[in-house]
Amino acid sequence: MAALSPSERRLQKELMSLMKEPPPGVTVDGDQASQNLTLWTVHMEGVPGTLYEGEKFVLQFKFTNKYPFDSPEVTFIGNNIPVHPHVYSNGHICLSILTDDWSPALSVQSVCLSIVSMLSSCKEKRRPPDNSFYVKTCNKNPKKTKWWYHDDSV
Amino acid sequence: MADDASSSSGITGNTVENSINQDELIMKQQREIEKEISETIPLVGEIEELQTLEKEYNEDPIYLLKVKDLSSKYKSIRRTRPDGNCFFRAFSYAYLERLLTDKQEYDKFYEIAKNSKDILVALGFSQFTVEDFYETFMEVIQRVGEHAGSTPDLIETVRMELHDKFNKQGYSDYIVVYLRLITSGQLQTDQEFYQNFIEGPRTVTEFCRQEVEPMYKESDHIHIIALSNALKVCVRVKYMDRGEGSQVIAHDFPEGSTPLVHLLYRPGHYDILYA
Repeated sequence: MAALSPSERRLQKELMSLMKEPPPGVTVDGDQASQNLTLWTVHMEGVPGTLYEGEKFVLQFKFTNKYPFDSPEVTFIGNNIPVHPHVYSNGHICLSILTDDWSPALSVQSVCLSIVSMLSSCKEKRRPPDNSFYVKTCNKNPKKTKWWYHDDSV
Repeated sequence: MADDASSSSGITGNTVENSINQDELIMKQQREIEKEISETIPLVGEIEELQTLEKEYNEDPIYLLKVKDLSSKYKSIRRTRPDGNCFFRAFSYAYLERLLTDKQEYDKFYEIAKNSKDILVALGFSQFTVEDFYETFMEVIQRVGEHAGSTPDLIETVRMELHDKFNKQGYSDYIVVYLRLITSGQLQTDQEFYQNFIEGPRTVTEFCRQEVEPMYKESDHIHIIALSNALKVCVRVKYMDRGEGSQVIAHDFPEGSTPLVHLLYRPGHYDILYA
C-alpha cells in the first residue's frame, strides 16, 4: 500500500474515530469513505424534541489534499433537505466554520456537532429569505459563495 | 471546547441582483493576489541588513527617521510572508533560533512544550486533531535540542535545517497551527483576565474560534500577550508607524523581563529583528 499523504492520514484517523464514537444521531458510511477518503456520506437524524424529530438527512463531505488547512465542502444531499433559515434548498449551508472561521483544529465531528446544534436551535422551519435567487445563481461549490454571517442564534 | 457546536450562521449577502457574480469576481481576484504574494515572498526569508529598509522608504521622510532610530539598536532584519500568520511564524522562528545557543532556556521551554498538549486536551480540544500538530511541533523542537548550546558547526547545521523546515508548508503551517492552539488555550484558561481586551460582545471562546484558531487571521496585542504568557517567553515588539516623533516605540510582553525575541511591527505585519 502506498504511503498516505498527511491529509489522508488525518482523514483516516478522523474516520476511525467517527465510526468508533459517533455523536448521537450521526453515522458515517464507513465503507464508502474507506474506498475514497476524499468523499464521505454522513447520515444525520433530527434530534428528538426539536422541530426535526423523526426526520433523516444526508450530508456530503468533500475534502481536498490540503485538508485540514482547507475546510471541507459540506452540503446536504438527497431527497430531504432540512427546511431551515440557513439551509438553501439546493443543500448549501450558511455556517461560518465552513469558510471564514474554519480552523485545522476542527474536524468532521465538530462540523457535524455544529450542524446538529444549528438545526436543534431552530424555532421556525423556513427557507432563507433569498433562497430562490441564490439557488438559481450560485456556484456549485458553496465555498465559492461570499457568505454574510449573522450572529443570531437560529 | 473546540468541539462544541456554537458558531455563527446566517444568510448570504447576495440579496441584490447580480451581486453574486460580483462577489465571485472579488473572491477570484483576492485569491489571485494572495497567490501572487505567496509566490514572491518566502515564508521566512534570509537575514538582511537593516539598510534594506532605508531603500524601501527612500521617499518617505517620516519612516526614514524611524529606520534611523531602529538602526541604532538593530543591525539586521529577517522578513516573513505577510499572510496573516506572520506573528506566529516570526515568533517561533526567532525563538527557536535563539534556543540553539541557549541550552538552559531550551530545557525550560521543552518542559512547557511537552506539557502543552495535555492542557489543550483538558480544555476540550479533541485528542487526534491536537496530536497531529503537537507531534510535528515537538519533532522540530527536539531537533533544536539535540545540539542546543553545542559547537558552532553543529549549531549552524541545525540552524540551516530549521530555516528549511520553516519554509516548508508541511512543517511551517503545522507550527503556526499549534501556536494558535496554545494561544487559544491560554486565553480560555484565563478567560476573566483576557475578556477585558476583547471589544464588543464576544466571549473569549468566540474570539478564539474566530480570531485565533483559524489560519491567516492577524495577531493583535491580545494574541502576543497570551502566547508570551503561555510559553513564558518575553517578546519585544518595535512599533513602526506613521505616528509622530522620530522614535520607534518598543513594547515588551510581558513587561519587566528580558526579551529573547525581537520583532518589528509595521501596520498589519511582523518581521524579525536582530541586534
